[in-house]
Amino acid sequence: MLQATDVWFGYHQPRIFTDLHGSQPRIFTDQHGSQPRIFTDQHGSQPRIFTDLHGSYRAVLRGITLAVPANGFVGILGPNGAGKTTLLRVLAGTRQPQRGTVTFDGTPLTRLSRAALARRMAVVPQETHLAFDYTVAEVTMMGRYPHLGAFEIEGPEDIAIVEETLASTGTLDLKDRPFSTLSGGEKQRVIIAAALAQLHAGHASQPPSPHPGVLLLDEPTASLDLGYQLEVAALLKQLHDAGRVAIVISTHDLGLAGTLCESLTLIRDGAIVASGPTDEVLTPENVRKVYGVEADVMRHPSGQRVVVPVRQSGTREVP
Amino acid sequence: MAAHPKTLSVWAIALLLLLPPNHPITKSLNHQITQSPNHQITQSPNHQIRRIISLVPAVTEMLYAIGAGPRIVAVSSYDTYPPEVKKLPNVGALLDPNVERILSLKPDLVIVYGSQTDLMQQLARASIGVFDYRHAGLADVTSTIRTLGERTGDGAAAEALSQRIERGLDAIRQKLKGRPRPRTLLVFGRERLALRGIYASGGIGFLNDMLEVAGGTNVFAEVRMQAVQASTEQILAKRPDVVLETRATNSAFPIGDRDAELSVWKTLASVPAVRNGRVLFLFDDRIVIPGPRVVEGTEVMAKALHPDLFK
Amino acid sequence: MTLARRFARTLIGFGALTIATLLVAPLVGPTAINLRRVFDFSVPFRDNTDAQIFFVARLPRTLAGACVGALFAAAGVVFQGLLRNPLATPFTLGVSTGAALGAVLAITFNWSVGFAGISAVPVAAFAGSLVAVVIVYALAQARHRGLSTTVLLLAGVTMNAFFSALVLFVQYFASFADTYRTLRWLMGDLDVSSYQPILAALPTTVAAFLIFAWLARPLNLLSLGPDSAESRGLDVTRAQRAAFFSASLATGAAVSIGGPIGFVGIIIPHLVRLIVGPDHRLVLPAATLFGAAFLVGCDLVARTILAPVELPVGIITALIGGPFFLWLLIRRP
Repeated sequence: MLQATDVWFGYHQPRIFTDLHGSQPRIFTDQHGSQPRIFTDQHGSQPRIFTDLHGSYRAVLRGITLAVPANGFVGILGPNGAGKTTLLRVLAGTRQPQRGTVTFDGTPLTRLSRAALARRMAVVPQETHLAFDYTVAEVTMMGRYPHLGAFEIEGPEDIAIVEETLASTGTLDLKDRPFSTLSGGEKQRVIIAAALAQLHAGHASQPPSPHPGVLLLDEPTASLDLGYQLEVAALLKQLHDAGRVAIVISTHDLGLAGTLCESLTLIRDGAIVASGPTDEVLTPENVRKVYGVEADVMRHPSGQRVVVPVRQSGTREVP
Repeated sequence: MAAHPKTLSVWAIALLLLLPPNHPITKSLNHQITQSPNHQITQSPNHQIRRIISLVPAVTEMLYAIGAGPRIVAVSSYDTYPPEVKKLPNVGALLDPNVERILSLKPDLVIVYGSQTDLMQQLARASIGVFDYRHAGLADVTSTIRTLGERTGDGAAAEALSQRIERGLDAIRQKLKGRPRPRTLLVFGRERLALRGIYASGGIGFLNDMLEVAGGTNVFAEVRMQAVQASTEQILAKRPDVVLETRATNSAFPIGDRDAELSVWKTLASVPAVRNGRVLFLFDDRIVIPGPRVVEGTEVMAKALHPDLFK
Repeated sequence: MTLARRFARTLIGFGALTIATLLVAPLVGPTAINLRRVFDFSVPFRDNTDAQIFFVARLPRTLAGACVGALFAAAGVVFQGLLRNPLATPFTLGVSTGAALGAVLAITFNWSVGFAGISAVPVAAFAGSLVAVVIVYALAQARHRGLSTTVLLLAGVTMNAFFSALVLFVQYFASFADTYRTLRWLMGDLDVSSYQPILAALPTTVAAFLIFAWLARPLNLLSLGPDSAESRGLDVTRAQRAAFFSASLATGAAVSIGGPIGFVGIIIPHLVRLIVGPDHRLVLPAATLFGAAFLVGCDLVARTILAPVELPVGIITALIGGPFFLWLLIRRP
């Protein structure tokens, strides 16, 4: 339902750079404007990205193509700086790619209003810091804002939806507590509840709509203790099994992704290295390509996938 | 710094603010006319004073009046009278005295403000005589003149001048004896074209004393401070018969603005001074400078308060 | 309790407090007045001292206090939401220092040009605040991509320091009396003696409050962080811009009426949050009402406590503000 096609995203910054042979710095012009284009320099060497004379383009995402099916569970993996967070934002529509399109059920995201976007896609960041002392209920209720008119106040249905989503993440009894007093795992579960409330299309009494939307989580377990990691992982699995929502997680926890996700996309330096069903993609060769590490990919009796880094590629063993 | 043709408006009154009302020196000044308020820092009395620098415009006028004018070698950036001072170099003023310049002119005596303690220390280190001027009430004008005269060696002229001033003030008092004394609000500063930030004379100080001699009663007589920020409510409640707005001549309202400035008082319609058209502008240096021209200044004020008596 | 119920209770509670304060304040003062005589319309207004005290001295002063207090308190809430910091004040970004520079120039150089019936100093103060707003915003925009609050804060603090230095510089050239008058202006003065300053500030005030009403929900979202707010459907750059300009204009208007009265913009938001919680849809109206009542109350104290001398209202707000913060520090674990 969520489809990214040949997405490029990057930043313009002024730069003078040399040709491949490191000789005199030369400025290359792009006669067709500022769109990033690939063309070779005059020495016919490696293709490089150029922009016009007044800037150059530093690409964060290069030609990403990715599909998130309804009720899918997609993992985006890669080392730090690979572009995972940026990709998540582009998928969620809060950043526009310079090239390529992202569509939701066929509609390009650029055609949707911010509120409409927010009703279809919700992002759960790695950590949430509040500037003021909101309660859990208030934080979750903010997920309903995209459903409210400019001066509209939340009504009884919204309250019911908030309670339902809090219950589904096991945090209903925390409703009136200040958010800042929660543990890390509880906070994440509340934010997930808020995201679910954000995606909830209708009244609590109705069944969830057939296209419930996409939940995007950025490193959902990175800053959590082991116990909370299990909590959140279990919750995500439960949500997926209940068929409520499509899930996209970006993570560098290979085991988590391997266990939960149906399909994986491995990226490095903004480009896709491998993409497809988990079983096919999570292989030692791909791990080496992306992380530069020799690893064993195994299945634990509990059903979880485990990736054990053994040593760095081409070097001695990890002590 | 060159003298800027600017607000001399109430430098003298501003000095009043330097001296808290219950400072022992102020107390002594107010009650004992003849006691010298000023102290010398160095010098034997026989040392001839040939080169004088004055940072205090009132004292500059006094020096000229007692015949010490030709010995003045520099004045402050605020000095304007007598006209001769314009040709003299200036050495700054209360907040920014130019010590180097002062020293380079090799004075025997420097007239400074009582609050310029740093300057006094520097001059003492250079063994230069200092006349430390403290400003207070009307009566202290003559006591200052007398002390000044002793210091510069013009004691006789100073005494004569002081007696002339005292007689002049007495004459005004006599003339106004038995006359009804209008209740007066004496405003020495406010915002342009607005009735905000109104500063009036309190019950003590030079302006208040002058008002007394000129035959008026200060509406703020009971406030034992030299300056009062008068609020609208206070002015309405006090119901002054006359409002006198005093400024130095070079901070007066431009002629074109006078009507506009007068009309801002109209919002206080119930004040007798406003009702009876007795809001008066007295833009005269003789009123705001506590120097030898105080008699003339007091006459100007008396004339404003009792026009029928001074033809 | 639903938000609607809490909103109603907040409005009624704080509204009652504000109305009560506004009714009592003109009746109290250093001078005793007879209420019957005040409203005795058979006596011509020009002759009725009691009525003049009530309608010329006290009533405009009360309304000015209410207006200024409401503006400062609401602007404080919005700035704290924009900068995501409960220690932000309406003065953090240099708006009031720009206004102070305008006022100092007007006082020192005796400007007499007025506008719309008000005199030079308020006009110069408001103009100064606009200059500060424009410069701070331009500086913050010089960095690419939207409006980063960090850069905004840096720009604001820098301009604050710069304008302060300019104020000192101008004061150096001023006579002692002008310096004294400037100092007193900086302490705040609500004795407007006419409705003109309030009326002149009305368009800005109304515009600012309309934008504040719209900003209530966006400010809630902004407190989650700009990215989280963005993913919940908020146009973050637009909301931040609206917050910055509306709160800055509100501050400029307030300073031009009564001078830079401190502490209102930080005490009231804190107190209100302690009472109604952090939801801006409650905090903004409550702070507006409470700010009005608070400043009118402080002015009441300022003009009666040492009668016949009137203290500048800024001293009272500062005397309350200091211990308030001590208490805040002590009670927090």
